[in-house]
Amino acid sequence: MILWRPLLREARSVKENDLCHVSITRCAELLIRDLGITSLPVCPFSIAQALDIAVKALPSDSQGVSGILLRHDNQYGILYSTWLENDGFQRFSVAHELGHYSLPGHPDSVPSGHASNAGFVSKDKYELEADYFAASLLMPRDLFKAAMNKAGVGLEAIEKLTGQCNTSLTATAIRYAKYTQDAVAVIMSTGSEIDYCFMSDCLKEIQGLTWPGKSSSVPRNTATHAFNNDPGNITSAKRRDGRTSLQLWFGGNIEVNMLEEVVGMGRYGKTLTVLSTERLPDQEELEEEEKLIESWTPRF
Amino acid sequence: MKTQNIFPKRLQEARNSRDLSQDELAKRTNLQPSAISHFETGTRKPSFDNLRKLADALEVTSDYLLGRTDDPSGVIEGDTLYRDYQNLSANDREIARDFMASLAKRSKERKGE
Repeated sequence: MILWRPLLREARSVKENDLCHVSITRCAELLIRDLGITSLPVCPFSIAQALDIAVKALPSDSQGVSGILLRHDNQYGILYSTWLENDGFQRFSVAHELGHYSLPGHPDSVPSGHASNAGFVSKDKYELEADYFAASLLMPRDLFKAAMNKAGVGLEAIEKLTGQCNTSLTATAIRYAKYTQDAVAVIMSTGSEIDYCFMSDCLKEIQGLTWPGKSSSVPRNTATHAFNNDPGNITSAKRRDGRTSLQLWFGGNIEVNMLEEVVGMGRYGKTLTVLSTERLPDQEELEEEEKLIESWTPRF
Repeated sequence: MKTQNIFPKRLQEARNSRDLSQDELAKRTNLQPSAISHFETGTRKPSFDNLRKLADALEVTSDYLLGRTDDPSGVIEGDTLYRDYQNLSANDREIARDFMASLAKRSKERKGE
């Protein structure tokens, strides 16, 4: 029985307020603890072996295939795609299938040969959970945070962590945005449209910012906008840096200069943008700025 | 027939047929006794890993526990009704079939057949 063949969905995430978020993390961390893993990188192939799951590369030319979990009786196997020649992505695909294997309730999502699919919970739920499990497994909180605290800020930090975790740049960037204490946003775009954006907690706390949703436009006058105007930049994985502002990307009243680092994702066809600043204005500075603005406001 | 409907009943029946208490089954599977209880009352759903451990300990198949066969030693073979299968390339399907065959072979070897 073939159990899963998810599409390429490395970048999705379970919503922050989802209860599953906690239990998925716990499930991945229990597995890590039980297997005695105490350092990075976490190897999903070794974990599969420890769980007695056979793993085989799928020399597929089919886009959209990342991995398949198969079962015959009580024997399990994972096929993973090598379509993207990216070690991190392939490891994430295997970890994603380990998520389907390890997470409670996932047998429910597999259609039986004798049942209709009617009444199925959206398969997206299961794919999101497996994605989150994969990130939690390959970048476990404690180990990731310890490495992150020594890695610096922005794209440079993400690249260091990518090397340490042996994960893809995308997955690492999303994890970094989740745990960093700096003001960071990770944005994936295709052409003139934003696919998704992850903000660090520090940015989320700023009032008045607008979270750019799916299909919203990449702001003009940004390095990303100029970069995406030439598709060759993406396919040849070029890089660009620039200065930008928080307001330009997210609106609001606070003017903060940010570093904008842009990378083409090659065959993936997308662009990764990392906005970062090591310092946001503190409350006192914000109050002073407000007073200044107030003093300029004409009164009649 | 969905897992949550039949799994609790099948698990309890299989455990009783082996004359095992929940605690004894928990020890054999390295699961918490409360987990066995929750599975049997349907308040907790199993993972594939749980299913595998339970099926091994109870000497039944996962397909039986999942209600996909009424034979405790029955195995569903060649089930290709899973979603998106039709979208796999011919080459991918061939590889998947070969891989599945290797899992079937391994299953038989493990059972000493």
